[in-house]
Amino acid sequence: MASDVTLASASRAEWIKFRSVRSTVLGFVVTAVLTLGISALITSVIRGHWTTMDPLSKLTFDPVSTSLGGTLFAQFAVGVIGALFITSEYSSGSIRTTLAAVPQRLRVIAAKAIVLTVSMLIVAEVLSFVTFLMGQAIFAGVVPTASLATTAVLRSVILAGVYLTLLALLGFALGLILRQSAACITVFTSLLLVVPIIVFLLPQSWQNAFSKYEPSALGRAMMSTAPPSQMFGAGSATVILIIYVAVAGVVGSLLFLRRDA
Amino acid sequence: MLKIEHLSKRYGDVVAVDDLDFDVTPGVVTGFLGPNGSGKSTTMRVILGLDRPTKGRATIDGRVYSDLRHPLREVGALLEAKAVHPGRSARNHLLAMAASNNIASSRVDEVLEFTGIASVATKKVGTYSLGMNQRLGIAAALLGDPQILLFDEPINGLDPEGIKWIREFFRTLAKEGRTVFVSSHLMSEMALSADRIIVIGRGRFIAQGSVDELTADAVGTVTVRSSDQARLAEIVHARHGSVRDRDDRALTIEGLTSDEVGEAAFAAGITLYELTPQRASLEEVFMGLTSDAVQYASAGTEVPRGK
Ligand SMILES: Nc1ncnc2c1ncn2[C@@H]1O[C@H](COP(=O)(O)OP(=O)(O)OP(=O)(O)O)[C@@H](O)[C@H]1O
Ligand SMILES: [Mg+2]
Repeated sequence: MASDVTLASASRAEWIKFRSVRSTVLGFVVTAVLTLGISALITSVIRGHWTTMDPLSKLTFDPVSTSLGGTLFAQFAVGVIGALFITSEYSSGSIRTTLAAVPQRLRVIAAKAIVLTVSMLIVAEVLSFVTFLMGQAIFAGVVPTASLATTAVLRSVILAGVYLTLLALLGFALGLILRQSAACITVFTSLLLVVPIIVFLLPQSWQNAFSKYEPSALGRAMMSTAPPSQMFGAGSATVILIIYVAVAGVVGSLLFLRRDA
Repeated sequence: MLKIEHLSKRYGDVVAVDDLDFDVTPGVVTGFLGPNGSGKSTTMRVILGLDRPTKGRATIDGRVYSDLRHPLREVGALLEAKAVHPGRSARNHLLAMAASNNIASSRVDEVLEFTGIASVATKKVGTYSLGMNQRLGIAAALLGDPQILLFDEPINGLDPEGIKWIREFFRTLAKEGRTVFVSSHLMSEMALSADRIIVIGRGRFIAQGSVDELTADAVGTVTVRSSDQARLAEIVHARHGSVRDRDDRALTIEGLTSDEVGEAAFAAGITLYELTPQRASLEEVFMGLTSDAVQYASAGTEVPRGK
């Protein structure tokens, strides 16, 4: 293409935009509070009840995924961060400034996706490691703990951050498709909360077939050291979630290319 | 040079722009005049590649907008609708624009200073007044120091000082050899700020020319008082003029010049007490030009009272 507006310059612009609105900062604060706060709560409660817990629960207890439990609440916050990154451009009209500056629309999407992925990945990985270590510290002495020296444990902690990053990208892709913050947040929470309820109402055999495909089930699989047999393995779960994000991203991009701004 | 080439744009059933075809030349201020909903903003959006034309195209020195190497350095635009995130500061807004087109960030301070909003540049745009927003839009348009500038309704929200400033500013830009394309729905404003005016209505081309050219063809009226108003009216009709208005004392005649009325009266032996040619006002000219093409006419000026 003839344009000198490179992906690098478009990304620099998107980075300035991303960090210069309060909703981004607020979104990250909420993500941190939910991840750390809820994980601290869950791990403390388990420590308190450990001696009275039944033997079967003790046998299947996973100190890793339990300590990362807050992630499954923070997923809503990161979805909103991703969605607002594009929907706020429509609600404010700034999408016109953006596209006048960078008329190559795919480049705009790529730049936004890069900024979102990099910043989200850094924040989410830091949070995952901190949450994990905090959980193990709370467990120490009473509840069995896990160590990052074990490959499967390290993988789970890393994939918890990857999960949050992918959900932020899913929110972004939905934003591209729907263009409206409210609609987008509704669809996003429905995917995570309502779909599991619908699946739960299906006959048992269907439940077994479908429930493992739910985004939050994929997340649980990614974060557990040894996912139960009715769930996907951590690797497959990651790939399936990436496929979801890619499909939504492709649909969103095609619409973004065709629509008037 | 900015060229609009047989441009049409439909939104569903609405034909917003209908086969517009004209050039906007550098070195002069070109006005883009039309009533509400006539397609001015749509044309501007198509020029910037924001809306995809249904037919035809708009080119900048022969290239469509998306082929420009650094769009903001070639075309600057102030769009009618706000195009800024309210939670972002003016400075960050401009810094992001500058970064995308590899424009030095020192230029951001320059345009902020120039448009008089440097002192509030770190405040959120959402707290700005209409006029401050407009100044930010102008700063954004100037950011890349472009040769082509588009302004959609730029005087909206500006105070008299700001309006005076912007008129002189357009002149300066044009004198520097830039292409300046300014939309408005006020003929009187265009008369003051534009060298050449393109008039559209319902998305269609209606007329173009200087203010003088556009008003020259417009029908003026002649006001007369005479010794025999009734006979004078008959004579006017006989000469294919018409009496638009008559009261006890004066006739307002349309379709004849004051010379023609004077000669006709003289020939009929009628004494004239007053013979005053009235030029059509600018707004009358504009309404005359676009009367067939007004979409959103108001129903009278009385406030509806309900039942
Ligand atoms: N995105 C859109 N979707 C549907 N219709 C549109 C859209 N944008 C403009 N229109 C319609 O196209 C026509 C032209 O609108 P446009 O905004 O270009 O007019 P305008 O000359 O700028 O008017 P104004 O002086 O009021 O700003 C109007 O009938 C408008 O309703
Ligand atoms: Mg308009």
